[in-house]
Amino acid sequence: MAADYRKCAEKNIHPPVGRTGMGLVKKKICLLGAFAVGKTSLTERFVYGRFEEKYLTTVGVKISQKMVPPIQAPGGGRTVQHVLLIWDIAGLEKFDHVTDNYFRGAAGALAVADLTRPETIEDLKRFGTRFRSVNPGAILVLIGNKLDLFDDDRGTLARLEKLAREYATGFILTSAKSGARVEEAFLELSRKIEGFS
Amino acid sequence: MTDRFARLLDLKGFGAVLFDSHFNIVRMSPAAEAMLWISGASKPRGSFLDLFPELVGVEEQIAAIIEGKDADYRLDLVSRESGPGRVRYLNLLLLPDPAPDRALLVIEDVTGQALSRQAANQQRYELFLYRTSADFRRKHSSERILGDSPAIRRVRDTIQKLGRTPSATVLLTGETGCGKNLAARVIHGSSMPADAPFIEINCAALPEHLIESELFGYEKGAFTHAVSAKPGLLEEAHGGTLFLDEIGEMSANMQAKLLAVLESRCFRRLGSTRPIKVNIRVIASTNRDLQADVAAKRFREDLFFRLNVVSLPLPPLRELGDDILRIAEHLMNVYNVEFKKRVKGFSADACRELLDHPWPGNVRELGNCIERAMIFAEKEQIDASDLVLSPLADPVVAPDGDRWTVPSGGIDLEEVERRLIVSALNQSGQNKTKAARLLGLSRDTLRYRLDKYRDQPPRPPRR
Repeated sequence: MAADYRKCAEKNIHPPVGRTGMGLVKKKICLLGAFAVGKTSLTERFVYGRFEEKYLTTVGVKISQKMVPPIQAPGGGRTVQHVLLIWDIAGLEKFDHVTDNYFRGAAGALAVADLTRPETIEDLKRFGTRFRSVNPGAILVLIGNKLDLFDDDRGTLARLEKLAREYATGFILTSAKSGARVEEAFLELSRKIEGFS
Repeated sequence: MTDRFARLLDLKGFGAVLFDSHFNIVRMSPAAEAMLWISGASKPRGSFLDLFPELVGVEEQIAAIIEGKDADYRLDLVSRESGPGRVRYLNLLLLPDPAPDRALLVIEDVTGQALSRQAANQQRYELFLYRTSADFRRKHSSERILGDSPAIRRVRDTIQKLGRTPSATVLLTGETGCGKNLAARVIHGSSMPADAPFIEINCAALPEHLIESELFGYEKGAFTHAVSAKPGLLEEAHGGTLFLDEIGEMSANMQAKLLAVLESRCFRRLGSTRPIKVNIRVIASTNRDLQADVAAKRFREDLFFRLNVVSLPLPPLRELGDDILRIAEHLMNVYNVEFKKRVKGFSADACRELLDHPWPGNVRELGNCIERAMIFAEKEQIDASDLVLSPLADPVVAPDGDRWTVPSGGIDLEEVERRLIVSALNQSGQNKTKAARLLGLSRDTLRYRLDKYRDQPPRPPRR
């Protein structure tokens, strides 16, 4: 089996990442972003449907799994169902080959910024660049989190929109606290990974 | 994996999992089983990747290691549940195995190290967020207001809402010592950037001629001793909060000038014609009944309405029920650190005393009481006998012939002074000049002291 993965690498095609039985496909995705932007809260909300008010900083990485509903290609094409392996990665301050291993093999990432701290949008540049350097073909979706606290500042939205254009992707505003658009964010990433949107 | 290497890993407390090129587990050391929180019954038989989802997606790297093309693959600080509510942090290191088509995963438990790092990061990040994020401060500042009674929850709730409207004027009302100053600072902290100024003016402590120059500032030559220009407190508060404590003591003349500033957010320094615009939040506080003062023409009605945009009444301590004990416990912890004591709590009798006392001086009085008890505390618990509660809920100490008698339980001298001032004001029909004469003080001295001892009527004790 290991040799199969080796062959894929030699032919420069993506290996069959975590293919399970019953047509389920395991996909590794990462949550990137500065500290306290809400990566853990988004994961907790999506996977367990809960929210913790108190901020508790993440150390290293925590991996959660969730099976998402089947997604279908536009026009009634093929249907795929993902089991997402969600890597909630601490807000890294510097990168090295060990932290690169957190990103390695990911099919996509939610790059999360805190809408109430516009500087965290700038942070996404270094996260996005590093993530793409490890996984050149991986999908990025930008997230503006803490929508419940956001005062609808146009400058912040413009910055997020500009960065999304730079990465040729979209952005979604979420609230881990209220749950607003959290599931949509993960499903959108799942669809983009399959090239369905 | 050679036996010698396996023994070495065991000795060092590392776990080891040997697997083959089909990702089947060949062997797992007992240390690895303990670290992964698996027992005989739950021992996995299937894929190595089912046991280590952390390695899904890097099968290519693993294949390279099995084939001996890559030296290693490492993942640090992977957190895993290791029982209900317990988390273990592991470092994972994949190495080639001497046997063909096999690789070895070495597991190191680094939970202690990770938790230390987490504690350090938590402190660092919280401090950073407190300094930079208004939202974080908004959420956490109001926690400085202790208690869980409905009255305190209402205060905290209002303060949180005020945190989102940094320009709204606020009027804090409540008895002396019930935390108006703290509330003003919390409102400021939760609504302004960390470096925004908080300028406090005690309207009762500054004579009228000073308050004007202090507030508005002056130009060089504006008056005899104005040898250089000086910006006023209004200017210094720009971008932040101006806290006008004891606003009820402000003179009629200053009330008119303050009203003009509040309406236009604009003023002139003394001796200047140049208007200066300021962006400030005004918080005013008083322990007087301003509405009664308005009715009695002692306070401008228009200024009252301008200040009373959001009114936040702070409850007296005696209405907070068990919160009194929470606050007392907090103070005990503070003084434990300050006085290097190890007092653990209050006895049941002490709790009853604390709950029954009427606390006419509110939190300030409670603070003094606990501080005094902590200074002399030698046991693990504070007893009722350690608490010196103000006897001044009784009528004020009276002269006995030409001698003064101190009650056997002792007195609070500051409280005696406060009561005498109240008594003098009552006797003089709130006329400060007459009250000052009764007390043998100058009017200004009386005004200064009123800063601390506003006219709180004596309350009978509950006990």
